[in-house]
Amino acid sequence: MKILKYILPISAILLCSCNSYLEEDPKDRIPEDDAYYSSLSSLYLNGVASLYNYIGGYDDSQGLQGTGRGVYDLNTFTTDEAIMPTRGGDWYDGGFWQGLYLHNWGVDNYAIRATWEYLYKVVAMCDYSLIKIDDYGELHGISTVKAYRDEVRAIRVMYYYYLLDLFGNVPVVDEVEYNYQIGRKAVFEYLFNELQDCASGLSTSRSNSPGDYYGRITRPVAFFLLAKMALNAEVYDDDNWTDSSRPDGSNIYFTVGGKKLNAWQTCKAYCDSITALGYKLESNYESNFAVYNEGSVENIFTIPMNKTLYTNQMQYLFRSRHYNHGKAYGLGGENGSSATLEALNVFGYGTGSVDPRFDKCYYADTVRNLAGNVVTLDDGITPLVYHPREVALDVSTTSYEKTAGARMRKYAIDVNATKDGKLMENDIVLFRYADVLLMKCEAEVRAGESGQTEFDAVRNRVGASHREATLDNILAERQLELAWEGWRRQDLVRFGKFTRAYSFRPQLSGEANGYTTVFPIPSKVLSMNSHMTQNPGY
Amino acid sequence: MKAKNLLSIIVVLLAFCLTLSGQNATVKSNSVLTLGYATDSAKNFTGSIEKITGKQIGNKDQISSPIEAMRGRIPGLTVQHGNGSAALDAVRLRGTTSLTTGNDPLIIVDGVFGDLSLLESVYPSDIESFTILKDASETSQYGSRGAAGVIEVTTVKGSKGKTRVSYNGSFGIASAYKTLDMLNADGFRSVATERGISILDKGYSTDFQKEIEQTGIQQQHHIAFSGGNDDGNYRVALGFIDKQGVILHELRRNFTSNMNMSQSLFDGFVKCDLGLFGSIMKSHNLVDYQKTFYSAEAFNPTFPNHKNTESGSWDQITEASQITNPLAWMEVKDHDANSLLSTHARLTFALPLDFKLAIFGAYTYTDYENSQYLPTAVWAHGQAYKGNKRTESMLGNAVLTYKKTVGKHYFDALALAELQKDIYSGFCTTVTNFNTDEFGYNNLQAGALRLWEGTRSYYEDPHLASFMGRLNYTYNDRYLFTFSARTDGSSKFGANHKWGFFPSASAAWVVSNEPFLRGVTAIDNLKIRTGYGFAGNQNGIDSYTTANLVQPNGVVPIGSTYAVSLANLLNTNHDLKWEVKRTFNAGFDLSLLNGEVLFSFNYYNSKTKDMLYLYDVSVPPFPYNTLLANIGSMRNSGTEISVGFTPIRTNDIDLSINANVSFQHNKLLSLSGEFSGEQISAPEYKAISSLNGAGFHGGYNHIVYQIVGQPLGVFYLPHCTGLKSDGNGGYTYQIADLNNDGKVSIEDGEDRYIAGQAMPKAILGSNISFRYKRIDVALQINGAFGHKIYNGTSLSYMNMNSFPEYNVLRKAPEQNIKDQTATDYWLENGDYVNFDYITVGWRVPLHSRYFTALRLSLTVNNLATISGYSGLTPMINSSSVNSTLGVDDKRNYPLSRTYTIGVNVNF
Repeated sequence: MKILKYILPISAILLCSCNSYLEEDPKDRIPEDDAYYSSLSSLYLNGVASLYNYIGGYDDSQGLQGTGRGVYDLNTFTTDEAIMPTRGGDWYDGGFWQGLYLHNWGVDNYAIRATWEYLYKVVAMCDYSLIKIDDYGELHGISTVKAYRDEVRAIRVMYYYYLLDLFGNVPVVDEVEYNYQIGRKAVFEYLFNELQDCASGLSTSRSNSPGDYYGRITRPVAFFLLAKMALNAEVYDDDNWTDSSRPDGSNIYFTVGGKKLNAWQTCKAYCDSITALGYKLESNYESNFAVYNEGSVENIFTIPMNKTLYTNQMQYLFRSRHYNHGKAYGLGGENGSSATLEALNVFGYGTGSVDPRFDKCYYADTVRNLAGNVVTLDDGITPLVYHPREVALDVSTTSYEKTAGARMRKYAIDVNATKDGKLMENDIVLFRYADVLLMKCEAEVRAGESGQTEFDAVRNRVGASHREATLDNILAERQLELAWEGWRRQDLVRFGKFTRAYSFRPQLSGEANGYTTVFPIPSKVLSMNSHMTQNPGY
Repeated sequence: MKAKNLLSIIVVLLAFCLTLSGQNATVKSNSVLTLGYATDSAKNFTGSIEKITGKQIGNKDQISSPIEAMRGRIPGLTVQHGNGSAALDAVRLRGTTSLTTGNDPLIIVDGVFGDLSLLESVYPSDIESFTILKDASETSQYGSRGAAGVIEVTTVKGSKGKTRVSYNGSFGIASAYKTLDMLNADGFRSVATERGISILDKGYSTDFQKEIEQTGIQQQHHIAFSGGNDDGNYRVALGFIDKQGVILHELRRNFTSNMNMSQSLFDGFVKCDLGLFGSIMKSHNLVDYQKTFYSAEAFNPTFPNHKNTESGSWDQITEASQITNPLAWMEVKDHDANSLLSTHARLTFALPLDFKLAIFGAYTYTDYENSQYLPTAVWAHGQAYKGNKRTESMLGNAVLTYKKTVGKHYFDALALAELQKDIYSGFCTTVTNFNTDEFGYNNLQAGALRLWEGTRSYYEDPHLASFMGRLNYTYNDRYLFTFSARTDGSSKFGANHKWGFFPSASAAWVVSNEPFLRGVTAIDNLKIRTGYGFAGNQNGIDSYTTANLVQPNGVVPIGSTYAVSLANLLNTNHDLKWEVKRTFNAGFDLSLLNGEVLFSFNYYNSKTKDMLYLYDVSVPPFPYNTLLANIGSMRNSGTEISVGFTPIRTNDIDLSINANVSFQHNKLLSLSGEFSGEQISAPEYKAISSLNGAGFHGGYNHIVYQIVGQPLGVFYLPHCTGLKSDGNGGYTYQIADLNNDGKVSIEDGEDRYIAGQAMPKAILGSNISFRYKRIDVALQINGAFGHKIYNGTSLSYMNMNSFPEYNVLRKAPEQNIKDQTATDYWLENGDYVNFDYITVGWRVPLHSRYFTALRLSLTVNNLATISGYSGLTPMINSSSVNSTLGVDDKRNYPLSRTYTIGVNVNF
């Protein structure tokens, strides 16, 4: 025990001197202060530009488009636009795809949860960037940081816009406070005002072309979002979406340029502002989706793609085409996603008047390689033929198990693509001007005006025959023009048709009240966060 | 076989063991032991100590890994067989006590700290003994590192006398004897014809499971020189192991060396020990077990076993996208080279007044290189990968000891100061788009593309500092007390939480030394022990998680150029601290009839608190959905019984029987608590392992879960009430509406129930050794009971929906199930008894000047397994918490047997 008496005080002295020994001195990462505060350019790089890394992605549910089981799939495979048929051993995936198609996705769907977490992750990163930008401004006593603030705020609004659209009554977290579920209408108003406020601080430059603003949120991108939000105001302004009544867009008012405008007028005003910035339709529809599509005058906002620089992937062509179809390009395929019967009908497939965009958007019938030769199955003899009308929820053990369904085309094949074709050079189109014209057309028709000029412009560009600009035709036109672009769910909800029955999809019991027009707040999030309540109906 | 039959076999087996006899793993009470920092007579230790000496391991010279030597010999020790020749075994002492990865026991080789790979660097013949510490009073000596138990290895040292040379070697053949019973080519054709399904018939008849097999040739050589005099000794040993697996190209080569010397100086004032050991292990691995065996089993058997003569490449089936031509897959190269060099020195000073000071320093360097090439036949455009990981570990300590006997009082005190610093660094690069496979990974410039995320490097340098005091007190050889107090500081924790304090206390009563038992001659020794202690854990976590640090998160366009941006890639936790395990243990050792009967009983109950774990947290407010924090708690308890009998011990005949059985129980107590003012609670159901393969991506394919209030790793499944006709001659799984809400939903929290646990409730190990004159026989039997196995292999291969893209089991067409929903239909009893090996040895009578001993032996590994499990083998991962726990899912390494002939010569 004597010894202990000496050891303990000696130990105490040693303990203190040990504390510096136990300090960490990381070498493969750096303190965040160095990243944010060392210079204005590093503040921009790490505080602002860094956030654009999350717009695309390669992991499931990460990225606004290009990856599987995320925002895009929740907006596409839940609708009458696209289906992922179970093909024998393939694509059953524990009932995931059938669940989406049938609106029977459950409250604990991991893809819905991962999508929620992805969107809020970027929101939280934006909040953090804003804190760092403000600190920098204070530290150096400069106001240049306002432009940075505006850009980050605009990015954050875009992510909230997706959250609002998918989940309805979502919590609003900003750099100052955490607001639990203030109601969909309140979130919508906050977002609209916020984006209007920061749009003025953004550059008017094009975002889709290489240059100082490539891939960034610029004023036309913000205007596009404002137009979208105004067009969907009847949905977003509705706190109770299961009571079968909805506010009237003509009575929802916004202040635009000092003037009080209703939703339709607001949508039109922002569409016109985009036109005024020089956006127009490409004469050739396909130029927007070419391997090098950065020169498009029509694209507004894209996910930049470059196989050696960025990790962003485009997995949709890969997962749609048949294995041998991919192989014919020297790429891969997963033989999955297909057009629904409803989509085929809208395109007039198999009738005398097929829409000219069908062949631009889908592979159907006999498949040919880039040299025009017929692609064969593994036996080297049987031609690969897609059978669009054989599509069903489960085509297992039918003769069309591997060939049912028209497949996704849309983007030009990049023969130099890598990772089975998932790393391709074509920038992924998120927003484009044809949609602006269709939005304006719809706003006019909803306001009781004509809308025919814009409607004709979109149809004439591809040589489609004349149609009247009616609401039904507009919904069909949006399918024709914007197939595979991830808008269908939002469009159907706005047109009140999301919950209706269609091929292989009976309406769920109780769904008529519209509860499936928003996804459930993931039950795991609810279980970890007692401040939130579930959306009605779930 | 029914579980009942199995149980009765166990009972018979145990009874058999109980009626026969031997020498036990339990340490003899008068031997001197080095336990961690303390050296003392075994009778003075208060904790349970298990020791295996080299001599006790019947097949020591024929095994290639020291871990194998321990299997089945220590109660509470689980050794999970790694599949294949190159795979590492997983080792658990008294089960899984942490949810992070810090569950591997601490390995100490001659004072050098390390992990299981350190153990792999030692040739089995160089091992003098294993000492296994499980009780808190002993493990708490290691404070931060002892929470998962300690395995100490002492290597063989030279001894006094003239120089001796010994050689042992073995030659073995491994061959597969059982694979899955899939449809053969004829069956495949006829099922397709019967059902009118068009198949791609290449006209061949190939058993791909056989095609990817090889006969594994194995050889081992070991040579040692040793000698010494009164003041010093030395030993130098070299070993070589060359072991082929039973799958094509599978190979592991291990060169080992072990040198040590010891010298007394200045009339014994200083004793100097030096040691150096090293190994270079090279292996050719199977890249992906599931891909390999899934492909071999499910690939179309009408395809040829050679390349297409026209195209010169392997024919593929594009529609079977989850598998590949198994013979093409065999061309994938995956080569490892793992080099380890460890040096250490100890100076022991015999100070005045019975003080002793030992200063120890060790430096260990490991370099691991992995090279992979995926040829264009299996990976579009080919892909090469090269990566290197380097670990440097520096350890230094000083131990001051004092021993004193005053009358009936005996004191033994110890003080320790220790510093440890590790450096982990490495890099890797991935290159794609090759025009030719000829370069493999040897010239990365042959690939055209280097993706940004394909190249990376890292650096990490955790530090530890420790101080300890320990006191033993014995009164009259009857009452023993041990107190120890250790404090550890780790650089991984937050500024105010770096230090952890880990005390322990234990006591023992040697009842057999009491006067009232002196007259009972049948009892040689009876010692009752109990103890309570704390141990820390920080092994499973990374450095740099407590500060706001940024790392590259991608490349972004900036102006007309590109730049790498930085971001914090995890939720930072400034308050991260030690995970603490508190263990209570009690037990007794009993030796009867001159050691003919040995009996040892241990009970332990430990609670892990402030459990380090990547908790799921709510997004928002957190940006990322996991947070490394100390919140939950877990309980482990168990009983370990070992018995040994030596019914016959004569000059001509020896028979000894040992058996040990451990009962383990684990319960996840809580995963919720407070984090910086916010209540955090992990989700109720969290999947641990899931199914993979065609049609199993995502969705309801989770099988084993972690659920609070349950043992770690429970099967949480929908209940299948039977097969239901689909109206077209096929069947689907009928799922019960367990929550009686009128609809069937197989989401978590809906129609699912807890159907069993993945980890065994009881583990059995038994060895029987018998000697008749110069012939000796050793048999090792192991078993595990009380757990279940999910037969995902059968779920996949019984699904006729996947035919003909994927081949099915031979019995699948008859049952005609057209469903792959994961239900409890394929949940099976996992009980098994495995006859691990039998060795027959013969000590050849010699009358030679040059040879002092010669022994020949024959070993057969994996004799037989008794089990009711319908899959290939019940010996799957039932102990490590990872994505394969409890699930048999198309990773079926064929059952194989190894026959080995060994020679042992002393010159």
